[in-house]
Amino acid sequence: IDVSGNVISEDDQMPLPGVSIQVEGTNEGVITDFDGNYIIENIDPQATLVYSYLGFQTKRVAVNNQTNIDVSLIMDDQQLDDVVVTGYTSQRRTDITGAVSVVDMDELNKQPEPNPIRGLQGRLPGVQITSDGSPSGANTQVVIRGVGTLNNTDPLYVIDGVPTKAGMHELNPNDIESIQVLKDASSASIYGSRASNGVIIVTTKKGKEGRMQVNLNTYVSTSTYANSQEVLNAEQYGRVLWQAQVNDDIDPNSNNLRYQFDWDNNENGVAVLNSIIVPEYLDEEQTLLSADTDWFDEISQTGFAQSYDLSVSNGTEKGNYLFSLGYYDNQGIVKTTEFNRISARMNSSYKLFNDRLEIGENFTFNKTQEIENPGVLDLALKASPIIPVRTADGEGWGGPVGGMNDRQNPVRLLEYNKDNGYEYHRIFGNAYADLEIIENLHLRTNLGIDYSNFYRRSLQRSYKSGYLQNDETAVDIEDWKSLKTTWTNTATYELKIKKHDFNLLAGTEMFRDDYKNINLRREGFILETPEYMYPDAGSGEAYNGGSATSYSLLSFFGKIDYTFDKKYLLSGTIRRDGSSRFGENNRFGTFPAFSAGWRISEEDFIQDNYSFLSDLKLRLGWGQTGNQEIDNNAIYSLYVSDYAGGDPTWETSYGTAYDLSGAGSGLLPSGFRGIQLGNDNLKWETTTQTNVGLDFGFFGYKLFGNIDYYFKETEDILVLPPYLGTIGEGGNRWVNGASMENEGWEFALTYRDKTEGDFSYEISANISTNRNEITYLPEEVQNNYGGDGSEDNILGRPINSMYGYVTDGLFTSEEEVMNSAEQGGKGLGRIRYKDLDGDGVITDDDRTWIGIPHPDFNYGFNITLGYRNFDFTSFWQGVGNVDVINERKFQTDFWSVDDVGSNKGTRLLDAWSPENVNSSVPALTTIDDNAESRFSTYYVENGRYLKLRNLQVGYSLSEELLESMNFTNARLYVSGQNLLMITSSDFTGVDPENAGWGYPQPLTLTLGLNLSL
Amino acid sequence: DFLEEEPYGVLSEEQLTTPENVDGFVTSAYAALGNDHYDIPFSLWPYGNVRSDDAYKGGSGTNDIQVFHFFEVSENIRTDFGELDAFWYNSFVAISRVNKALAALNQIDEVDFPEKSTRIAEMKFLRGHFYFMLKIMYKYVPYVTEDIPVEEYGTISNRALNNDDLWSAIAGDFEAAAQVLPSSQPQVGRADKTAAYAYLAKTRLYQAYEQDENHNVVNINQQRLQQVLDATEQVMGTHQLEEDFAYNFLPGSFENGQEAVFSIQFSDNDGTLHGRLNYSDVLATPQGIGCCDFHKPSQNLVNAYKVDEQGLPLFSNYNESNIDFNSLENYRVDPRLYHTVAIPGLPWKYDQENIYQENWVRSPSTYGYTASLKENVTEDSEHLVNIDPFYGNSKNRIEIRYADVLLMRAEALIELGRQNEALPLINEVRERANQSTTLISSYATNTGISPYLDGENINWTQGVAREALRWERRLELAMEGNRFFDLVRWGIADETLNKYYSEEAEEAVYYEGASFDEGREEYLPIPQAQINFSQDVYVQNTGY
Repeated sequence: IDVSGNVISEDDQMPLPGVSIQVEGTNEGVITDFDGNYIIENIDPQATLVYSYLGFQTKRVAVNNQTNIDVSLIMDDQQLDDVVVTGYTSQRRTDITGAVSVVDMDELNKQPEPNPIRGLQGRLPGVQITSDGSPSGANTQVVIRGVGTLNNTDPLYVIDGVPTKAGMHELNPNDIESIQVLKDASSASIYGSRASNGVIIVTTKKGKEGRMQVNLNTYVSTSTYANSQEVLNAEQYGRVLWQAQVNDDIDPNSNNLRYQFDWDNNENGVAVLNSIIVPEYLDEEQTLLSADTDWFDEISQTGFAQSYDLSVSNGTEKGNYLFSLGYYDNQGIVKTTEFNRISARMNSSYKLFNDRLEIGENFTFNKTQEIENPGVLDLALKASPIIPVRTADGEGWGGPVGGMNDRQNPVRLLEYNKDNGYEYHRIFGNAYADLEIIENLHLRTNLGIDYSNFYRRSLQRSYKSGYLQNDETAVDIEDWKSLKTTWTNTATYELKIKKHDFNLLAGTEMFRDDYKNINLRREGFILETPEYMYPDAGSGEAYNGGSATSYSLLSFFGKIDYTFDKKYLLSGTIRRDGSSRFGENNRFGTFPAFSAGWRISEEDFIQDNYSFLSDLKLRLGWGQTGNQEIDNNAIYSLYVSDYAGGDPTWETSYGTAYDLSGAGSGLLPSGFRGIQLGNDNLKWETTTQTNVGLDFGFFGYKLFGNIDYYFKETEDILVLPPYLGTIGEGGNRWVNGASMENEGWEFALTYRDKTEGDFSYEISANISTNRNEITYLPEEVQNNYGGDGSEDNILGRPINSMYGYVTDGLFTSEEEVMNSAEQGGKGLGRIRYKDLDGDGVITDDDRTWIGIPHPDFNYGFNITLGYRNFDFTSFWQGVGNVDVINERKFQTDFWSVDDVGSNKGTRLLDAWSPENVNSSVPALTTIDDNAESRFSTYYVENGRYLKLRNLQVGYSLSEELLESMNFTNARLYVSGQNLLMITSSDFTGVDPENAGWGYPQPLTLTLGLNLSL
Repeated sequence: DFLEEEPYGVLSEEQLTTPENVDGFVTSAYAALGNDHYDIPFSLWPYGNVRSDDAYKGGSGTNDIQVFHFFEVSENIRTDFGELDAFWYNSFVAISRVNKALAALNQIDEVDFPEKSTRIAEMKFLRGHFYFMLKIMYKYVPYVTEDIPVEEYGTISNRALNNDDLWSAIAGDFEAAAQVLPSSQPQVGRADKTAAYAYLAKTRLYQAYEQDENHNVVNINQQRLQQVLDATEQVMGTHQLEEDFAYNFLPGSFENGQEAVFSIQFSDNDGTLHGRLNYSDVLATPQGIGCCDFHKPSQNLVNAYKVDEQGLPLFSNYNESNIDFNSLENYRVDPRLYHTVAIPGLPWKYDQENIYQENWVRSPSTYGYTASLKENVTEDSEHLVNIDPFYGNSKNRIEIRYADVLLMRAEALIELGRQNEALPLINEVRERANQSTTLISSYATNTGISPYLDGENINWTQGVAREALRWERRLELAMEGNRFFDLVRWGIADETLNKYYSEEAEEAVYYEGASFDEGREEYLPIPQAQINFSQDVYVQNTGY
């Protein structure tokens, strides 16, 4: 028989074009026309038709000899009825009027990351993530909508309703159900005082109603350098050393770096190097055989990570539970570095008294351990290649001799650091009770705790490494505890009167943070093993210290959401926060916000004329948020007794003890020193943000996205300005100083579809821009952020703008040298600086603004494909033009601007010479007469990049197979991270994302399995 | 109240301003004497020595602490050097400790705290000490005392006092201290009366050489010179020269000896991490012992120790040829050479078991083969402390020693035209130098100098006496942080250094581009950051 009919949307009763109708079990199928009509011919009268449309729930209808079947499809929950947690309450996504980004957890989870926040990089417009490749992912910074303060820019994390400031890598990413980012003030300001950097709301998983579920997720991965630093080998080093000395008319054999040269001048007077002579042994004692060490190889290993996560959950009408266990271990690509996490979670809730009372808890216990990189990457570049890793007997350590620099053997540092990791225990969670007193009026009380304990025992072992040596043995122990408690009480009431919907919220919150620490040191150990080296076993001097600090917040807040006819949305919040960090004069701050939304697509004139429009919503928001990230004791003038002061090795120690008696040793008399001046008038730093946004969906959500524009201004930024030297120590004084503006656009778009076959695809992309400007600074610090010290300063420019000289290539002829501006040290092959002020001489006045370290735009795009049981993802992330300081260039392009005598990068092999006039690398010299170490455009490079962050192919077992094995899901996948990087051609370093000496971002290959019972 | 949080483990000013606690402010101000660092050194090694004709910077190359290299060659000196700002700051940290101590002491009744007036005098001495250092470094500095509220500091210009008034203010503190301080203190680390008089003399001596805006010496004020005599008069006889020059530069029981008028007290095994060591000079340890081979006597200085057959300096031709370390026996030298300069092949710091060798040197092609001895100790000394990767020591640093007092008095006498009275003072220093061979006699066999004998080996006119005095100061106090400031005081920095640069370029090629700009480089620039903080209340020095 032939069947015809019409397909409409249940929600708005509008016809749906393009709905796929298939006869179940066959390949037959048709698609609805523009008016939602279809006709399907010649089918079995007993067949079943399958109506599917993206964004709607699939519907099956048995034909049963009917020839006309009209169907209305229900919109998929995943789309509009998605419930989004927005701060003490949750809202349907359709009703949101602020700028809220929801993370696609399925995609996020495809990227194996110790820290889920690192996985957010490039996935959300307006959320800029920077990170390095350290095994824990701890070093991950989040900046939401631009740098809005001179203080900490971390957003506030709210995990199951408990606010916390950081440490997401300490929690198990597999426990996360959803992540939402509240970007604008109208959505974030309900969190008031700590919301000015944005809020990231994390909700952990719960047991779902239905049957018991068991999930196992596991993967293993290996990692290597994505791109490595090329350094000189022993022969190349000798060549460069010789050339540098010859260029300066210094006898190249009068070095104390253990190199000798056989060389002469040829008939043209050009120096020719015949051979390089390195002694067999570097030292007189003949313990150090000269070598050709590649120090980068020596500090590196193939990384290996493994992750196991098991969860069991169940739910009934009366309650649900979830229990999960996780284990993660990641050995990084730098030897001995490792991060390890064990986590356990128990989430449950119960409904009592006819479901009027719900009680529940979410708790997690985590233990993390990490051995960090002790800072060996620059040492691996600097160590001379002729130094052996070990002494000739294989027991001792190689190290510098003679005139070599006092840089430690990086392999020794790693080896001796491997027992010096930390252990971190964290208990995080909340318990709550929610009582529905009368219908739709809920009273809720929630107690959150965040307890952590940090413990690190560092062993200092004796060593000898070339001329560097230390006989002292010691153990240092650092132990701190922190307890943060949050007690929140809220009342919510829902009211529906005809077309008017109201949601009301009122609440209070009390927060307290207690911190205490102790540290101690004991010297003198006869055994140097981790088993032995505990303080009691030492026989030398003992030192100890410790301190404590605390602060508290008290808040009152309320919120009204109003919806008229599902079309017009209004929302208002207000929060009043008090902080112990401020003096009585300004203890409390009030943070209001308003927003409005108009669901244009619900208007009749749209529905009648533009049926392809599935959703169109205009949002407007305005609000204020605060910041109080200052010292707990900032309002007080304080003195301390500081017997020893700080470690005097690298910095002045401002101790207060002195040997007045001239005894030369023993306990000294000691006094006090000021540490800060108080300020009773300190008040909250306030950010005011305006947001305009448009959400849209076309063709039944085949194409959807949003666009946002924001403008935010931060005033009264809390700063600890440097101060007049005459005030001496203790002149630190927090003040409300600066103002800053951020302005930007955000754009996100997704297109997804299925073909008639089994092929489905989804492409999503986002791009965002931000422009930052410092608009006000107190006069006395206006010149502290770059500039010439008088008129030319940071005001009106983006924060952290770079100021320096402009280079103008190298001098390549005597004529050029003669005709250029006066520049001390100029000469052939040297850098020419631009005479910007045109006075004929290169001075401080020839500096200008030469770089902005903020990208023009950030972007990311994700392509997922599905075909039958296969799925494929490729996720790309990048930044547009951005100025980065390539710190490595000081080492790779010059013999002498830093660490003369240390090893250097291979770029020096291409240094300018009369025979190599096209090089951009300055000529080799031992003396930096030209002051090329001065900060100039030579060191500023374009840091734009596009990286293939993740490429993954998965295969899911077919349903038949699964049923036969009693699984509900089984998926196997392989993936690669950082497989590809595209950078600007003028970037000369290793990774523009990390142009200094941070932990390199590795290339990772992963094999994983997801199993559900 | 839930929001009331008391700070933990800290103190308020009220809790400290009591008879029981007030001495803590004083101790803390003394502690500031040693709260410095190798790149912010209160020993002034880069500023007094490297910047003069006495020393090379040293280290791995010219870029190893490049700012000090720029001072060594008097090129590229910029107003934004962090080292200059840090030195300024650390000095004012000390002064702020002094001012806080004075403010607190002023509030205590002498009945409750009998040491009150002595402590006030000690604090004034320390304030004088730090302002003196700032004065010779920067020339014009803002002068703040305990009477001025901190809020008003921003209004006080570094030119509020002119050159002469600033000297007078510093002298005033020393004068006030000298009048109150006891002639000796129960604790040797504290300033006493003679220390204050010695420092007063030093201040008046600098003040006597009056400078114009371009740092030219335009007049030598006879009245100030008389004040030098008055002050040194108070010190004469209260101290004595050590029997051997070496004893001033040895640790342990040699410290606080009879010649030390005022010393910075360092200590080890004192409950601090590495000890309160002489952090100014940790880099001066040669590579053969530790690190980092900075602060190296120049060839010119070495040559200056040569003497003629009569045992007198080669005033005019000392630098025509270099002393060859491989044939020392061919020269007759002043014994102080062996106490000041480490020479390859000879014992390191008198230790015959440990020979200083060429391969102890870090960068011979740049900085030659010498090392500095005075601030160093022997390798096996119990006072040498490994502060990985550096080596420090707890040997006191003498700020003013009696020899300096004798020479300051001699200088004043000569400039007053009373050079005959100066002669015995200079000879006292020379005679002690000549007999300072106790520790070097086994290897230094070519030493021997003579006193000046008017009419016999010298014609002791004012001009000759002046030259002899200046020579004596250089040799006696070499590498002790004075030389450059002496040259500026005498108004001869320009001629001396430009001559030195051109001659020394033979030894050290990096001097080729060196040139001293008269009227500018006699003083450091006022740190740009400080000018900014002051919102241009401070005025930059001439030429910067």
